[in-house]
Amino acid sequence: MPRSYLYLMICLLAVCWHQGQCSNNIPINGITFKNAIRDPDPDPSGDFNTLIVPIKRAGNLIIVEAQIDSLVGNFVLDTGAPYLVLNATYFRYMPQITEQESAGLNGTGAATFTTNVYNFNILDLHYSRLTADVTDLSAIENSRNIKILGLLGTRLFNKFAITVDLFRNTLYIHKLKEDGNIPQGEKAFHDPWMVTPFKYLNDVIFIKGIANDSPLWFAFDTGAETNLMDYDRVRKLLPGMQVLNRTKTTGIGGSSFEVIYARFDTLKIGDRRFMKNRVLLTSLDKMGKAYGHAVDGILGYDFFIRGIFSINFVKKEFEMYIYTNQ
Amino acid sequence: MKKYRSIVLFLLLLSCFVSETKAQKRSSLVLGKDHLILLLDMRSSKQELDSLFKAAGVKGATATAFFNGDYSAFKKDGWNINKRSKNLIQFDRSLTDLNINAQNKPFLITTNISNENEGRPGYPADETFGINKFSQLNVYELPSGLTRFYLPGFLKSKRVLLSGNFNNWSTLKGAMIKTDSGWIADVKLAAGVYEYKYIIDGKWQRDRSNLQQHPDGFSDVNSVYYRYNHTFRLSGFAGAHKITLAGSFNNWDANTIILQKKGNSWETKFYLHDGMHTYRFLVDGQWFTDPANPVTVKDVDGHTNSVINLGETVNFTLDGYTNARKVYVAGTFNNWKPGEIALKKTATGWALPLIIPAGNYGYKFIVDDNWITDPLNKRTVVEDGVVNSFIAVKPNYTFKLKGYPNAKVVHLAGNFNNWDPDGFTLAHNGDEWTIGLYLKPGKYRYKFLVDGQWVLDPGNKLYEKNEYDTGNSVLWIE
Repeated sequence: MPRSYLYLMICLLAVCWHQGQCSNNIPINGITFKNAIRDPDPDPSGDFNTLIVPIKRAGNLIIVEAQIDSLVGNFVLDTGAPYLVLNATYFRYMPQITEQESAGLNGTGAATFTTNVYNFNILDLHYSRLTADVTDLSAIENSRNIKILGLLGTRLFNKFAITVDLFRNTLYIHKLKEDGNIPQGEKAFHDPWMVTPFKYLNDVIFIKGIANDSPLWFAFDTGAETNLMDYDRVRKLLPGMQVLNRTKTTGIGGSSFEVIYARFDTLKIGDRRFMKNRVLLTSLDKMGKAYGHAVDGILGYDFFIRGIFSINFVKKEFEMYIYTNQ
Repeated sequence: MKKYRSIVLFLLLLSCFVSETKAQKRSSLVLGKDHLILLLDMRSSKQELDSLFKAAGVKGATATAFFNGDYSAFKKDGWNINKRSKNLIQFDRSLTDLNINAQNKPFLITTNISNENEGRPGYPADETFGINKFSQLNVYELPSGLTRFYLPGFLKSKRVLLSGNFNNWSTLKGAMIKTDSGWIADVKLAAGVYEYKYIIDGKWQRDRSNLQQHPDGFSDVNSVYYRYNHTFRLSGFAGAHKITLAGSFNNWDANTIILQKKGNSWETKFYLHDGMHTYRFLVDGQWFTDPANPVTVKDVDGHTNSVINLGETVNFTLDGYTNARKVYVAGTFNNWKPGEIALKKTATGWALPLIIPAGNYGYKFIVDDNWITDPLNKRTVVEDGVVNSFIAVKPNYTFKLKGYPNAKVVHLAGNFNNWDPDGFTLAHNGDEWTIGLYLKPGKYRYKFLVDGQWVLDPGNKLYEKNEYDTGNSVLWIE
C-alpha cells in the first residue's frame, strides 16, 4: 500500500473516532445530556420477573431508594433525564471521565461532569456500571426538604417496562418477553384505560397529544411537578384560556422569570380525553435543546396522577389504568 | 301551537339576556394570543377583585384603590387600559416575558411553584401528649430499652421492612427478621411521636392492629406510635373504683387517661412533651393533687394543681453583684417576663437551676432592673436587633471552626436564622470557635462569618452552590 494511502486511512480513522466520541453531544447550560455513548453501559441484571419497588413521595415527585456500593439514598424517578444524574453536593469528588464543563445557568458557573458509577442497585436490579452526570440538584432538596442523591433517568429502564401506581406508591419493573410484552401472568394491571405509542428520542419519551384541537408533541417527564407548555409554540391555543395564577419564580443562580399557570379544557392522549387540565406556560426552548428535540409541552404530575401509568420502553408504548379496572 | 312557539322563543331570549347580564358581571383573567386580559367589573365584590389581582400577580393592587380610580399598581406592573365602559375596565399586559426562561429542566421551575403538598406528611409535628391504642399490642418496649415492632403472619413473604420517620421512611434499611409467627424489628427510639408502615414484598401496609393513625398525605394513613417517657403513680386508694388523670396537656379531659391498679398503687404511662404541665387525679368523682409531688400551683379558679416540669436542668449562675437586692433571669423560655424567675443568693453571687425544654434560647439577667448579658457566656444571639446571651438546651449539633486564633468575632448564619449575619456569636475554646444548636430534623445551609468575611465550613465537605457562586455548607439533621 502506498504510504500516502496509509496516512489517508489513519486520518480517516482518527476523524471517525473523534466524531464517534463527540457526536450528538448537546452541551446545554447546567445539565449536559450527552447522547453519544462512549462505551455503552453493561445491561442490568436481576433475579426477578417483576420487581416491586416501594415509592416515596416528596411534593409531586416520585422518590425511589437506591444503593451505590454501600451508600443508600433517595433518587427521583425522572423520565425527563436521559440517564443517571447525581447530586454534586454528595458526588463532586467522583472521578471525572470527561473534562469539566463550567457553563452554568445564567453564567453562574454551575459545574457538570460525567462519571462512572459502579455497583448501583435498585433492590434486586443490579447495574455493574452506569454512566452518570454529576450536577447541582440543590433546588429539589431545598424546595422539598428531602435528601436527594440523584435522578433516575430513562436509560436505566430501557430494557424493561415500568408501571407506576401512585395510589399505592408502588413501582413495578417488569422484565419483558422476546416480543417486548410483559408476560401475562406478571402484569400488575389489566385492561388499560388508555394506550398510546410514543417516540423515544435521545432517551426522552415523546407522546403525541391534542390540546384544544391542535396536535402537539409532549415530553413525558415524571420529574415535572406540573404540566408545561411552550408559550411561543402554543400561542394560537391560548385565547380564552383561564389563568389560575401569574407568578415570578427564581431559577438556579437567582434569575427571576415569569410563568403563567392556566387551565385548558381538553387534552386528548391516545383515544382518551383528559378534562380540566392545568398547565404552566413558559419558554421550553432550553428544555427542548436539553431533550435534543423541540418540544411543544411537557406532561407532568397533573397528567400522570390521573391513573396508574405504564411505560414499555421496548414496545414504545404508554398505557394508563384506572384503579377500578385492575 | 304558534302561541307556545312564541312563549318558547321569549323564554330563550330571556335566558340569553340573563346569561349575558351574568357574564358581564363576572370579572375574569384570561389569555389572549399575545396578551393577558384582566377584565374587571365595577359591580364585583372587593373579595372577588382582590383574589383576581392576586392571581394576576399585580403587586400592591387592592380593590379599594381600584374603586377609587387608582390604577397606579397596574401601570407599574406593565398593564395598560385597553377598553373602558360604564361598568367594565379591561387591562392588557404583554406576554412576551414568558419567552424568558433559562431553565433546562422542568423541576427547576415546578419545584418552586407547586405547593400543593406543603408540610411534610409522615413527619409528625410536636404533640403535647400521646397514648397508644392497639387492638393487639404488637409494638412494645423491651427491657433493653429498644422498641419491638411485631407484624404477625406474612410467613410466605420474602422481604418485610419497617419504615417510618425514625429511619427517614427508608425502603431499604428497616429489614425485619422472620420468626415462627411473623416478623420483628427492634428499634432505638427516644421519647416522642412516630409514624410508620410496613413494606411487605414491596407494598406499603399500615399496622392493622394499631388504632392510632395520621393521614399519610396521600390516600392512606400511617400508624402512629408514642414512645412513653412518664409514669404517673397514685399510691393507696385501694377501695377506689375508677381513677383518672386530667391535666393542662389534655385540656383537663377527665375521661381519657384511666389509671390501672398495680399492687398497692394505681398508675398510667404515656408520652408527655417537655415543658411545664399541671394535673390532678379524679378518684371516684373527687379531685386530688398528687400526694407524691410537693410542687403545686393555684389556677385562676382557685384550684390547687400538681405541677410537673420536663426538660433539661440549666444552672444559671451570675458571679458577684452581691449587693444587688434582686436578680431575675428572663428569656425566650418565659416570653421575657422580667419578674418571674428569681435567682437565689449564694456566697459568691447568684444561681438558679431551671428546667427548660429542648430548644434555642436568648436570655438576660435582670439585676435590680438593669438588663445584662451573662458575663460567663460568650455565645450570643441577636434578636430584634438586641444582643442577648444564648443557650441551647439539649443541643444536637455543634458548629466548630478550627483556627482563626486572631479573629475578633466569629458569627454563624444560615437558613435557621434567615441568614442574619449578626445572628449567633461563637465562643473561642482552645483552637476552635464553637456553638451548639438544637435543630429539628431536616436540611440546613450555613456559613461562618469571620470578622465580616463569609467562610465555608472547612470541616464539612458537603456544600452546594449559592447565588453568589461562593457556596453554602450543607448539614442534614436526621
